[in-house]
Amino acid sequence: MGYGSTGKLLYIDLTSGSIRQETLPDDLYRLYPGGKALAAYLLLKYITPGVQPLSPENVLVLANGLMTGAPLSTATRFTAAARSPLTGAYGESEAGGFWGPELKMAGFEAIVIFGQAQSPVYINIHDDQVEIRDAAHLWGRDPEYVQETVRQELGDKLVRVLQIGVAGENRVLYAAISHEMRHFNGRTGMGAVMGSKNLKAIAVRGTERYLNKACDPKTLAELGKTLAGQVKNHPQSWDMQVKGTPGLTSGLNAAGILPTRNFRLGSFDDVANIVWDTYEKDLLKGRSSCHACAIRCKREVSINARYEVGNTYGGPEYESVAGFSSNCAIGDLSAMAKANELCNRYGLDTISTSSTIAFAMECFERGFIGLKDTGGIDLKFGNADAMLQMIDLIAHRSGFGDLLADGTRRASQVIGQGSEFFAMNVKGEEMAMHDPRGKVGVGLGYAVSETGADHLVSYHDTMIVNAESVPFKGAMPLGITEAMPARELSSRKAAAYATLESWSSLGKVIGFCYFGPAPRSMIQADQVVTAVQAATGWDVSIQELLQIGERAINLARIFNIREGLTRKDDSLPERLFSPLENGALNGIGISKTEFEQTLTDLYLIKGWDPASAIPTREHLRQLEIEWAADLLPA
Amino acid sequence: MKLHLGGSLAWYDAKKRSNLQIKLEKQISLNALLQKFSIPRAEVAIISINGDMFEGDDVLVSDGDTILLYPPIGGGSI
Repeated sequence: MGYGSTGKLLYIDLTSGSIRQETLPDDLYRLYPGGKALAAYLLLKYITPGVQPLSPENVLVLANGLMTGAPLSTATRFTAAARSPLTGAYGESEAGGFWGPELKMAGFEAIVIFGQAQSPVYINIHDDQVEIRDAAHLWGRDPEYVQETVRQELGDKLVRVLQIGVAGENRVLYAAISHEMRHFNGRTGMGAVMGSKNLKAIAVRGTERYLNKACDPKTLAELGKTLAGQVKNHPQSWDMQVKGTPGLTSGLNAAGILPTRNFRLGSFDDVANIVWDTYEKDLLKGRSSCHACAIRCKREVSINARYEVGNTYGGPEYESVAGFSSNCAIGDLSAMAKANELCNRYGLDTISTSSTIAFAMECFERGFIGLKDTGGIDLKFGNADAMLQMIDLIAHRSGFGDLLADGTRRASQVIGQGSEFFAMNVKGEEMAMHDPRGKVGVGLGYAVSETGADHLVSYHDTMIVNAESVPFKGAMPLGITEAMPARELSSRKAAAYATLESWSSLGKVIGFCYFGPAPRSMIQADQVVTAVQAATGWDVSIQELLQIGERAINLARIFNIREGLTRKDDSLPERLFSPLENGALNGIGISKTEFEQTLTDLYLIKGWDPASAIPTREHLRQLEIEWAADLLPA
Repeated sequence: MKLHLGGSLAWYDAKKRSNLQIKLEKQISLNALLQKFSIPRAEVAIISINGDMFEGDDVLVSDGDTILLYPPIGGGSI
């Protein structure tokens, strides 16, 4: 490899115990330079279509972004990917924090994990020394104990420990992977895949420095300093530093799209109890960061109110605030923080957990299920004790929790009685806490995303509603030229969506956080280009970067088509085509006719056949992945 | 008047305040109020006046009003 990367992959077969290393050639790495692109490429290469997600034949990839570990704000992300047990489709989840950068310092771009260990194990990586160790004594233990014990065993307090909790061990279909107790690969059940392989943890220690591999370390270091100095001078990054994601709650409520009572409502009566001002006053204890990031958007919290919550597991993000408060109709910040703490301790995705409980609450109130189903738990909206009990039951797959541990899609299929209408998922993945009835491009994203209802698959409509605004100007170098309303569904909306989707995907390939680059935040598009050029020496342009992002999306799409998914899987929960029942958007739903037409427009723009939603061979050729067309059914 | 500068809008206020209590002698246009606090109109995406969403360009506001202002809401945070 040249600059910016070792191109080195680590292959571990847990069935045989074999460990080997391989270096990707430069030309291949430029096509799939990390993260989502590399993961999708490797999954297509190594997964046989139709494998059961929780079988030894599934393959788990942990892939760093190209820039992960660089001394640049927000360049921290790594991808966990496998066939998802929650959706049966391409599964993927990114996390920031410190583990990805540490793996980069150890010299690896990705780890590819095959098979299943006979008994619990953990992997230890110290630079290029790799071993598989017994983890029987760690199975069933809490993250804090696991991290401390592994560090003691390895005699190194600086080891970064990636791990699963009991939810992953019990194969809850939306189990997460965590590290440092406050950074999570939360979505699509990658923790369950890790658990199915009897893999409790991956400890990493690396001693290299990113700049030693960079083509132009001076430019990269200068850019890092510039970005660090920019944080307080840019309104969006300043906002992330001071308030972080929980700053969102009151604005969404005012806009009428704060998910409330399982997305039936868009405004929450008790919103004053959960907004940022209350969070800051009652819950916030400090701010923290990911590797080398000056934004510092992570929250540190504790509270001693109705429920006592310490700071072991970090502070709730907006998704947890809305999920465990308004969407379950619970106006108690300490209950929400407790739910967040439990999920983080057990290793559960807070979005899917909260959404599944909200779904169950609606089923309970509508009489689809009763006390005899729930084991006597009064699972009505607003019952904080019941919500917390359900989290315990889900993590341990006990009682009614065993059904809810399979997510809303499977639970609604078992409960029946029309409950599918209230199961707020796409492809089986529960919707994030963003209601597309107020920003319909988010709905396009939920529908077409290969992973399901993910809110970070593209940038939200609101970034481009005003041509004079800071975010719009940030989007202009990407080719966004027209401002348009957030609720507009049209071919021009589809075109803007496609561009922003490729840019968001690029972030997942090179390892930049969603809160880094414009239009969302402070790092302008030309600075992203400078960063990649300085790291690699490649003469990349914005167009090539957009194409890298688009290529990754197409690889994931090919994976899904190979697994039998079709255009009909690119849909939204029926409830979103029905009107909201209160708030600023009372009476407003999404027009299904307009939505389907815009989806057709989007496929054509993306170079996909609109009837089947399959990329055309010609388009795959343009993306330099014509080989992927040969994987498609005839 | 209660004025809430949500999300990144507080950045434009010289003292970075999110919640302001203002005394107005007479009615004033919303855009004039924004100018007083150096808030660019283009950055204001959501306007709530006394609990109702306002979607026009400008409007007169009064001393007793509660006004909530937010920037574009873009995923994960405002």
